[in-house]
Amino acid sequence: MDEKEYKAKRAQEVSQLGAGHTEYKYEYAPELLETFENVHPEMDYWVTLNADEFTSLCPKTNQPDFGTLIINYIPDVKMVESKSLKLYLFSFINSGEFHEDVVNKIGKDLVALMEPKYLEVIGLFYPRGNISIHPTFSYAKEEEKYKELEKHRFFNRNLNPQRIG
Amino acid sequence: MQLTPLHVKEKTTIQYMSHELLFLAHSGQPYRGTVYVNFTSIGETFDLLDFKKYLTSLRDKKFTAEDIAFEIHETIAKNIQTKNLGVIVDLTARGGLQQRLCYGVEFEPVRKENIFQIR
Repeated sequence: MDEKEYKAKRAQEVSQLGAGHTEYKYEYAPELLETFENVHPEMDYWVTLNADEFTSLCPKTNQPDFGTLIINYIPDVKMVESKSLKLYLFSFINSGEFHEDVVNKIGKDLVALMEPKYLEVIGLFYPRGNISIHPTFSYAKEEEKYKELEKHRFFNRNLNPQRIG
Repeated sequence: MQLTPLHVKEKTTIQYMSHELLFLAHSGQPYRGTVYVNFTSIGETFDLLDFKKYLTSLRDKKFTAEDIAFEIHETIAKNIQTKNLGVIVDLTARGGLQQRLCYGVEFEPVRKENIFQIR
């Protein structure tokens, strides 16, 4: 495939990136997520996406919650397109979700979307009542190498907890 | 929006800040930022619970980004008497550009991290 064909193929894969008009949804909308093809599936490589402006609502009090989401994954065939991810994350703006639930929900949506070799979603939420909650979701494909990776990262998370304050 | 006045000593310099400012651009895209409010008391301040509710109420309102410091300044000025009131809003980058909006009397904002927030 020459460069011209490659660019045309890439452009066809995603609809929201570069679209003249962007529609923002304010209710949970997983259908916004789009993928494009990983052209290096023979390689294992990390992709990290940081979302510093994530916000949702407390399901009980309706008060706003804020946090940073860190998404790390090793792609297989599909990769998430970042503008569609941005719009998808914005769609939580009026969703009432506990921090633990929202991190798991996003993780499961991304696994269903991409079927990655490995994926983790870490939520670093702003403190409420002096307590900040940092849940982590992880998933690995049914292959020993990735299962080992998941186990290793799960067992070794926060062995040296960071100083707070 | 009503901000209930509370009595405080005169000549106290008061500065409030929040990393949790959120409002919408006219396109519908959310804007995030940090707001700083600074004034000298002439006998009153406002109830912080009301102020929190006010900031939260901006969450689904649309503004031109450049008007947000004015909007917050005017809301405070309508509700309490102050001296040297100033508002600064630092917005996070959009399209690679960051914005700082200032309205009222200039001041040096004291930057603080959210306690317990790991960087």
